[in-house]
Amino acid sequence: MIYDNPKFLPGGDRFIEMELGDELNFDLNFLVHALTAKIRESEIDGLVELLPNMASIVISYEPDVISYSDLKTEILNHYCAMGSLEDMELLSPTYYIPVLYCDHVTRACWEDYCAKITEKEYDPDLMVRLNGLDGYDQLARIHSGTEYWVAALGFYPGLASLIALDPRCRMTAPKYNPPRTWTPRGTVGYGGSVTCVYPAQTPGGYQIIGHTPVPVCDISQSLPAFKDDLALLRPGDRVRFFPVERDEYDYVKRRVEAGNYVHNVASYAKFSIRDYHRWLDGLEMKERF
Amino acid sequence: MPLTIEVKKAGLETSVQDFPGRYGYWEQGFPPSGPFDMWSFRLANLLVGNAPEAAGLECQFMGPTLVFSAPCVIALTGAEMNATLDGEPLAMWESVAVEPGQILATGFATKGARAYLAVSGGINVPPVLGSRATFHMAGVGGLEGYALKNGQSLAVGDGEGIAGRHVLEDCRPSIADGGTWQIEVVQGPNDDWIAPEGIERFYASEWKLQARSNRTGYRLEGPEWIFAEKASAKGPEHGEHPSNILDHGYPVGSVNLCGQTPIILVNDAPSAGGFINPFTVASAAFWKLAQSKPNDIYRFKRVSVEDAQEMRREIDHLCTEASIQ
Repeated sequence: MIYDNPKFLPGGDRFIEMELGDELNFDLNFLVHALTAKIRESEIDGLVELLPNMASIVISYEPDVISYSDLKTEILNHYCAMGSLEDMELLSPTYYIPVLYCDHVTRACWEDYCAKITEKEYDPDLMVRLNGLDGYDQLARIHSGTEYWVAALGFYPGLASLIALDPRCRMTAPKYNPPRTWTPRGTVGYGGSVTCVYPAQTPGGYQIIGHTPVPVCDISQSLPAFKDDLALLRPGDRVRFFPVERDEYDYVKRRVEAGNYVHNVASYAKFSIRDYHRWLDGLEMKERF
Repeated sequence: MPLTIEVKKAGLETSVQDFPGRYGYWEQGFPPSGPFDMWSFRLANLLVGNAPEAAGLECQFMGPTLVFSAPCVIALTGAEMNATLDGEPLAMWESVAVEPGQILATGFATKGARAYLAVSGGINVPPVLGSRATFHMAGVGGLEGYALKNGQSLAVGDGEGIAGRHVLEDCRPSIADGGTWQIEVVQGPNDDWIAPEGIERFYASEWKLQARSNRTGYRLEGPEWIFAEKASAKGPEHGEHPSNILDHGYPVGSVNLCGQTPIILVNDAPSAGGFINPFTVASAAFWKLAQSKPNDIYRFKRVSVEDAQEMRREIDHLCTEASIQ
């Protein structure tokens, strides 16, 4: 639920955790990001950073500039002045990311795991079976058939938790147990009801369904999108995956390697909760792409 | 001629850090990094005449051996590492003039765990997103993203050093020789997930620092935790184990409970995850974490938010020229 009165919890001498509710719920997460945007705009003196997540925000502050209780009052005032959820809009840039589904990377990861850790069902087969799909083509069609909402980043730098905005495209997947020791950068994974693009070569626990040559994190800052950032996405952004064939995948890969790939982003895109709810109400849930 | 420092021996994990570290990218998962013992770090910079923020070296457990190419002033603070300059013992907490070709050698930490080296002019690696601090887990900042390696060289900025100064005895952290440390904590944010007996047990018990601890987290060994009813009676999105909670942000310093193992999240810690944080270490107690060694014992003491802020202020006041003579 979304609490009638948000909770303010101290995190030592420099942090406040503000809990707006206690469940995994898109409206609640949208509220978190709308409030984060509003607090950021208000430029409160002494506020250092905002760390929004599923249902809460951790706020760091400079106690020599603003006290715990004054900061809490200011934030509560902003929260109370937000009005109804239905009226809220948020600037939400949409990033377009090409994916080669069920590809050589998917297979290489699975083979590596089977050889080093333990035998398991091939990830795309498992996704097809558990989600009642008719094959890899439908897996790709469903995964790329919806916009995703960046609910939060964290756990690993640049790693975004993406949630499908179209309920007809929501899938579920168990996590690896024990986890993988090797996941290449750019691997597209699915765990629980969340999808992600691995920002760097790391261990991992999500089922693998494809790979993108487009980096979502670049510590060398070699591409234009990373001029002022190390990571591509921020909470409250959107992502749209689109399936490509090997030729196009290789072309994008070459552009990335040459340092002249331009990330495809519609940064004018606003997200309106009212329009989203209206669209949801009109959906025929049994339909599947 | 611009000064460079040649790394003859890198030490165990010596990294470039600046104060207070990298801010503004936490929501994308990049932690602040920066010096673990910010008290010793700032005093080292002040000694040589630098701004307290300037980049210096953090030496962990076993320090580096370095050669200086041009005249400069250095200061070593924090843990004792039996430092020598051309074989002669180097005084700590003092600014010392160094001649071209002189060799600074450091060894194992005998008292404390982390030493800080400041050089007049400051270490001049390129800043990444506004900071020179090393976050080696992702290869960000510092010298090519990681801890120093043998044979590398470090550029140093321009700056007139001031030799022959020392930090007043009363203004230094009193780094004990192992044993038991009192660590101040503020209760929360998730203290209501622990039963009152569990909270009491946390304060009454001794907690041993495990060897598997580093700049991302300090693992502790101690008694069993006792959870409140809330920790079991919760929605499925909070996860199965009583220590699981819906993913949320992690304050730096929080005592993150992973199953039955508490991990204090420090400078390079993950920014978010799905475990509860019943307590948060006061930032003024971080230097004690930085200077403790595996198997040292922690006793936690409850303080209020305001007390913790006052403690922080007191240390900030000690990190000024008034502490230097």
